[in-house]
Amino acid sequence: MIKTEQLTKHYGTIHALSEVDLEVAPGEILGFLGPNGAGKSTTLRILSGYLPPTSGKASINGLDLMNESLAARRCTGYLPENFVAPSELRVSEYLRFRAALKGMGRKQVPAEVQRVAKHLGLEPRLRQPFSALSKGFRQRVGLADALLGDPPALLLDEPFSGLDPLQREEFRSILTNLAADGKAILFSSHVLPEVEEIATRVLILHQGRSKAVGTLEDLQSHLHEKAKLCVRLSDASPKATEVFEAAAADLDFSFEVQNAKNYLIELNDHGRRSDLFQRLANADLPVIEFRELRPDLDQLFRSLVEESSA
Amino acid sequence: MRAFVALWKREVFSMLVSPFAYVLLGVWFLLNGMLFVVALSTQQVLADLRLLPPYLFGSGMLVWLLLPAFPPLLCIRLFAEEHRVGTLEPLLTAPIRDFAVVLAKYFAACVFFLLFWSGVLLLFLLLHWHGADLDWARVLGGMTGAILVSFLFLATGLWASSWSSNLVLGAGGGAALNYLLLFVPALFELNEGPLGSISRSMHLPNFLDRGFSAGLLDSYALVYLLGLSVLFLFLTWMRLVSRRWVP
Repeated sequence: MIKTEQLTKHYGTIHALSEVDLEVAPGEILGFLGPNGAGKSTTLRILSGYLPPTSGKASINGLDLMNESLAARRCTGYLPENFVAPSELRVSEYLRFRAALKGMGRKQVPAEVQRVAKHLGLEPRLRQPFSALSKGFRQRVGLADALLGDPPALLLDEPFSGLDPLQREEFRSILTNLAADGKAILFSSHVLPEVEEIATRVLILHQGRSKAVGTLEDLQSHLHEKAKLCVRLSDASPKATEVFEAAAADLDFSFEVQNAKNYLIELNDHGRRSDLFQRLANADLPVIEFRELRPDLDQLFRSLVEESSA
Repeated sequence: MRAFVALWKREVFSMLVSPFAYVLLGVWFLLNGMLFVVALSTQQVLADLRLLPPYLFGSGMLVWLLLPAFPPLLCIRLFAEEHRVGTLEPLLTAPIRDFAVVLAKYFAACVFFLLFWSGVLLLFLLLHWHGADLDWARVLGGMTGAILVSFLFLATGLWASSWSSNLVLGAGGGAALNYLLLFVPALFELNEGPLGSISRSMHLPNFLDRGFSAGLLDSYALVYLLGLSVLFLFLTWMRLVSRRWVP
């Protein structure tokens, strides 16, 4: 469990972070979004034990990061932004060093290195020097480092940066599997589709303040109280408009017809979507598509950031 | 303790595979060999080989010129380079205390610097094998003193390396500090009064020349050198802690 309460960080007169509350439960992936300088890396650095907060609390697995820093760090796997390992070390040497640094005994280390290497598909690269690896494999080494000792909490700063689409897909599935294993994962990203795809919940940070937190669905409905629907018919049916007009009066919505086959509907009450679907089905209209038009994370992110800037 | 040993081993390993460390070692051996020959060719030393250790370890150019410059060069990779490359953050977020990080890096540098002194010892052994009558108490005493001074200079170098990611500042700052430790007391040691006596009590070549190289274990010099080394290690630790507060 990763938790912060009223987390604040000032660098002199600069307020990098102001009273941020967040909680990531085991098995959950919290996507951390925000423009550059929003305070994402600062939050992750505080949680990793690299920086102390100015005020507020941060804990990992119930261990306070200020008072029980070493124990909290043992429960945390941290992948910093632009992860680099010493270039003179081979992948296996680096992982062995990190495992020992995390307090593992001489007998435990090789098995643990083997375990994480197998998990992340690094086995063929173990004998290569870090400097010879591609960006994707370097990120994997960073993640392997974070996974050494099987920590219950993972903090990943921009884990997708610099990866190609295939590598992103692999990384995404690795993170999803880790969450399925019960790890609490907090990751920051600029790649909105990645966040949308794997995050259980999203936290949007702007100018050091938490602007919104919740599931993507929560955020979408928070931003757009009215539901927008697209209904497409296979043929232009003359009675369709009559059906829509009658339903609009009963179910409180407005609609617009496009190409005689497409209907754009704006429902004032989200909860009446199923009623509308039922009415269309009962009227025997040739409906081939009934889809809710939701703002994607990109739109949500822009709206929230623009709203707070204004 | 495991984390400390792991970091110490990694630092020693990194120095052993670093081309830069070997370039330093090569230049050190070369310059030392030259200084050794110069020392041996002086009339006084030729007449009495017992004068070689005080000449080499006390008043010679080894201590006054070479020794202050080399330890900071060896130390730049310990913090400044790690900071520049970006490997410091993963290290400082590992479950290891900051003072253990400082000590592991310092002891690794000390162990590697013993290699530097092994070359000088080899020169004395060569003399011995060629039949020279050496006073080994003076040789080993002088070398012990010089090793302790180099450990102090490694501590100042480590502190300078922790200042920033700038390698030139790290190496130059450490060397400047070491030259100050050598030359400032020397400038005032002839002064009569408290300034002179304080300067004499801080004059490193005096410790080497009159104490260690005479085969004596000077407890004052020992405490002074170790105390000053601990002070600079403490300052390094403070810098590391403050870096967390002001990145």
